[in-house]
Amino acid sequence: MSKDPTLQLSDLVEKYTETLYSRAFYKVSDAELAKDLVQETFLAAAEKIDSFKGNSSPKTWLFAILNHKITDHYRKKMNQAVNLDHQVFSKFFDEEGTWSREKRPLDWQEEEQHLLDNPTFQKVLEDCLHELPENWHTAVKLKYLLSKKGDEICQELNISRTNYWQIIHRAKLQLRDCIQTNWLKDS
Amino acid sequence: MNKLMHILFLSCKKATELIEKKLLFKLSWKEKIQLTTHKMMCNACTHYEKQSELIEKGLAKSNEKNFTREDVAQLKKLINEKLDHNKG
Repeated sequence: MSKDPTLQLSDLVEKYTETLYSRAFYKVSDAELAKDLVQETFLAAAEKIDSFKGNSSPKTWLFAILNHKITDHYRKKMNQAVNLDHQVFSKFFDEEGTWSREKRPLDWQEEEQHLLDNPTFQKVLEDCLHELPENWHTAVKLKYLLSKKGDEICQELNISRTNYWQIIHRAKLQLRDCIQTNWLKDS
Repeated sequence: MNKLMHILFLSCKKATELIEKKLLFKLSWKEKIQLTTHKMMCNACTHYEKQSELIEKGLAKSNEKNFTREDVAQLKKLINEKLDHNKG
């Protein structure tokens, strides 16, 4: 595509806001955040429009900026999550690393498929997710939000494998414990 | 006794760490054997592994998106205003 000297940002806003928003929503699963990211995309585009060479279509160009914004958002979240609360283990384990009596995983009584199909159980899971610190909540959902494997996420977000799985370890301990408490209480 | 067991067959803290590592990446041969041996002797960690896998499935399910159709016209308006504002 040759460079279009009359490339108007307002035309791009008109044409691409909707598809950019869909993509952003799909990747972050949050309407407000998705809107912010689309806005930031156009603001960044406005700054760079003079250097846009037309080597790619404006659509590809805008999506590249949006993807960059999304990655950036998650990179920040994960960096903050790494620094969160190293005390969490003492809640679950004694000094030797054995489960503390009141936090031991117990049998949840039901078949896996029954639990997954049970709306009450899914509700408990959702509620417990929201009780996690926000960055941990993001961390445990990241694989599903980005539809990527562990290694790809580490590469894309530039975090080490060790940091990533240790964030998940802490988050999962907390999440599992919350589910056990609320699920066994209800049933 | 506990201490010796932990040296040979991991602590529960380390075992759960390996369970999470396994769900994200791969375990080495040595780690696989250590984890299997630990679970043979530890009911709690056996439950943990099953439940952690279950939680993963629940997470995948909860992520089936409910796309909220936003008022795109409103968003376009907002973006254009910001762009104009930045132009000064």
